[in-house]
Amino acid sequence: MLNYFLKGEKGTRLRFMGMLLSAILVLLSVFTLAQKGLNFGLDFTGGYLTEFTTSQSVELKELQSFIAKNHNGEFELTAQGNSHFQLREAPSASTTANSLDWQSAVTQNDDINAQVLSSAYIGSQVGDELFDQGCLAMFAAMIAVMIYLAVRFEWRLAVGSVVALVHDLILVLGLFSLLQIEFNLTVLASLLAIIGYSLNDSIIVGDRVRELLRVQSNNVLTPATIINNAIKSTLTRTLITSGTTLATVASVWLLAGAPLQGFAIALFTGIVVGTFSSICIAATLPELLGLSAKNYEVKVDAHTQTLLDMP
Amino acid sequence: MLSFKKDKKPSTAKFKLSYIAMLIVLVLLAISALPNLYPNKSWLHISAAPHSETQSLPSTKTLVTFLNKQGLEVEQGLDKQSTINILLNEPTKSAQAQAAIKAQYPNTQVKIVEHATSPTWLQDFGLSPIKLGLDLNGGVLFVLDVDLDKAVDEQLVSAYQQAKSIIIKQKAHGVKAQQTQHGFEINALPNSTDKLTPVIEELQSRFANLAVVTSNNGSVKTAKFSYSEQGRSSFDKEVMGQTLTTLRSRIEELGITEAITQQQGKHRIRIELPGVQDPTEAKRIIGATASLGFYQLKEIGGQTFNMQSGGTIKLDPVPIFTGDHINNANIGRDDWGKPLVQLSLDGQGGDAMSAFSKANIGKPMATVYSEYSQNAKGEVVKKSEVINVANIAQHLSSRFSITNMKSQQAAADLALLLRAGSLTAPVTIVHEQTIGPSLGSENISNGLAALMLGMGITLAFMALWYRRLGLIANVALILNLTSLVGLMSLLPGVVLTLPGIAGLVLTIGMAVDTNVIIFERIKEERRQGRAPYQAIQEGYKQAANTIFDANITTMITALILYGIGYGPVKGFAITLALGLLTSVFTGVYVSKILSQTLYLKMGKKAGVKAHA
Repeated sequence: MLNYFLKGEKGTRLRFMGMLLSAILVLLSVFTLAQKGLNFGLDFTGGYLTEFTTSQSVELKELQSFIAKNHNGEFELTAQGNSHFQLREAPSASTTANSLDWQSAVTQNDDINAQVLSSAYIGSQVGDELFDQGCLAMFAAMIAVMIYLAVRFEWRLAVGSVVALVHDLILVLGLFSLLQIEFNLTVLASLLAIIGYSLNDSIIVGDRVRELLRVQSNNVLTPATIINNAIKSTLTRTLITSGTTLATVASVWLLAGAPLQGFAIALFTGIVVGTFSSICIAATLPELLGLSAKNYEVKVDAHTQTLLDMP
Repeated sequence: MLSFKKDKKPSTAKFKLSYIAMLIVLVLLAISALPNLYPNKSWLHISAAPHSETQSLPSTKTLVTFLNKQGLEVEQGLDKQSTINILLNEPTKSAQAQAAIKAQYPNTQVKIVEHATSPTWLQDFGLSPIKLGLDLNGGVLFVLDVDLDKAVDEQLVSAYQQAKSIIIKQKAHGVKAQQTQHGFEINALPNSTDKLTPVIEELQSRFANLAVVTSNNGSVKTAKFSYSEQGRSSFDKEVMGQTLTTLRSRIEELGITEAITQQQGKHRIRIELPGVQDPTEAKRIIGATASLGFYQLKEIGGQTFNMQSGGTIKLDPVPIFTGDHINNANIGRDDWGKPLVQLSLDGQGGDAMSAFSKANIGKPMATVYSEYSQNAKGEVVKKSEVINVANIAQHLSSRFSITNMKSQQAAADLALLLRAGSLTAPVTIVHEQTIGPSLGSENISNGLAALMLGMGITLAFMALWYRRLGLIANVALILNLTSLVGLMSLLPGVVLTLPGIAGLVLTIGMAVDTNVIIFERIKEERRQGRAPYQAIQEGYKQAANTIFDANITTMITALILYGIGYGPVKGFAITLALGLLTSVFTGVYVSKILSQTLYLKMGKKAGVKAHA
């Protein structure tokens, strides 16, 4: 079925429509990011850390649900012992009022009878300069990859891969902004993983485009057809790899529980849009930029030519 | 290049050598992965506190009953001469038990020590399981107090001394600097008031946060320098930021990647270190305040410094340059085998050193080592000592070394501190505590369950889709997981956190990609009419390029993230990079040999059939 759609004109039209869709989604994501911003977790914002003990031992789960009733902001409760707990919460003005609520609730409840040991503001785990450094790292990585690909492939294919990568990151960030899912260090780690995945996907399609362009150096086929053929021949691989990776991510989503939910959501989205963009952007953009078999004519030396001309 | 035609009847002897090499690597990695089957257990070591009677130690029986009463069930209690070793049923609650025992028996010392449970022959090789992160296994918590007042005082003294040298440099006669209660002031006599302004301007360009109030006191013009509230708060912020950065890089120098360093309150810093067995070393390095300065000798005026070898010496109070301009520091030994620290300076420091040494060949230069320490009254005092006075023999550039170090340890510590940066404000450790894991054991088992399920689905799919080749991919995948775990256990800096487990799951999900690319190629070659063995050869050869490009680009990103990133980002980058290495190794090389062998055997058995 898919092969039918990817044949000839239809395939090309499908790719361009996909690219249009991507452009719209990117615009929407940028708009949401500008409007709503990201819901940064405590790792990034810092917050209040309250340590308290209870007179009797209390189960973490029970305490968690008890505090949740008296606290409408986000908080993170950790047990240091059966009767010794730590609570981290956001520093925003609205939650400060609520935080007093939960504190009086736990201290006044007879079953818990908590005693607050200390409450202090703690800074972010990721300082400003580290955040800047992280952004710099991503930027440096993109430039380095672009240079490598431009040397190995061709600048048009390199631009296609990197644009696809930026597209994937923006869409995932857009989703996190739209749903206001907490953005913490674990989610940041998943973004890094998406970089690797997205590049992998784009390069495999790009590699096949390069190969076919070299073989078809007699200019019989149009670049559009060559790209369609390349996508067609890598499609099984793309679907299998995406499928198995999605299966593992889904099992993390289902089994690993709340601490890894954000991670799983980010990766799941990243893999889906990464697969999509490897076809609709990484392979299509070079065509718009004027990729043709001529770009490869000079680079093929006699030695490789004999190899390629082999039956 | 038509070599594959010669391979029509390849002999097993051809890849015997690579066979052996690969087997050795696989076996070594598998052995390194073995200790993970025997996770470490946290024992409580209880001993009498120093300076207290040994009798203050309760008997093992009393302790066990006490802990059982607290709901902390004891699995094993051992009586060892001066210490009692206790293993809990739930070792993750050790931190809680430690606190309980400390509260009940204040005269005891309780340590949490990890005991390996692997067979002794594994331990003899120095092999241990992967270290678990803070979220999975807890660690040590330090709260540091940053003495901001001291830092302000130091800054004011330094500003005062620089003011004096600026006055001399600008030849501003009739202008005099004087220390006051809250800072210092510069007075200008009536006929030299015009010389005051350039001095103030110069000083303000060096100390941006200093506030200056000028007033006319009769005919004398006075400029008072002190910290305004605003200047003070921005100074504090600057110092805290700098202290955090320095501490982070020090912890990194210690080889701990997944530490958490945060500001707590206005002048405190909270550091959580995962899996640190013995916090003594970490404490020594984190709290160290040592700094270096290089000074010119002064015969007239100047400040008096103590010499390490005894006696005093007078130095120019303004250093030629300080340890802040040191780019890199390494330990070494001089011709007599005494430890030394080799330094390389940054541009600014190199220029200062070059200019100074050129103008002062044959003259002495002093190296001053300063450190904050607590005196008998518990006050923090700065102790500065001249460790070395040497004649400048030649025009020095940005590389030189400091000799006369007390010991190898002192040299190593100084080099580490110079690399990681010095602290502008003295810090003291005000709180030290063992903390429990922030995620329960439930999360670990959930993470492992996710790993199992994800892997199960992948294995089942590969076996169904590719049949015989799928089995090869599955063997490669299992070998990949083993090798990755083995590598992670071998490298000292790797700490496994929950996101790390997720990264592992993902690596496994993506690892089959290599095999999928190859197998699809083989199928394609078969469709073009190649015989199975040739198809395998060609498939691997054609796919190698693609796999190489795809993995190199991801490797570039992983390396950059490792180089620039911090903490969890760094940890993730390590897992990613190691995962790439092992997946290429097992997915390309190991599975190639496996499939070749498989088809050769099949070819022998089925004869011509296999070529059909």
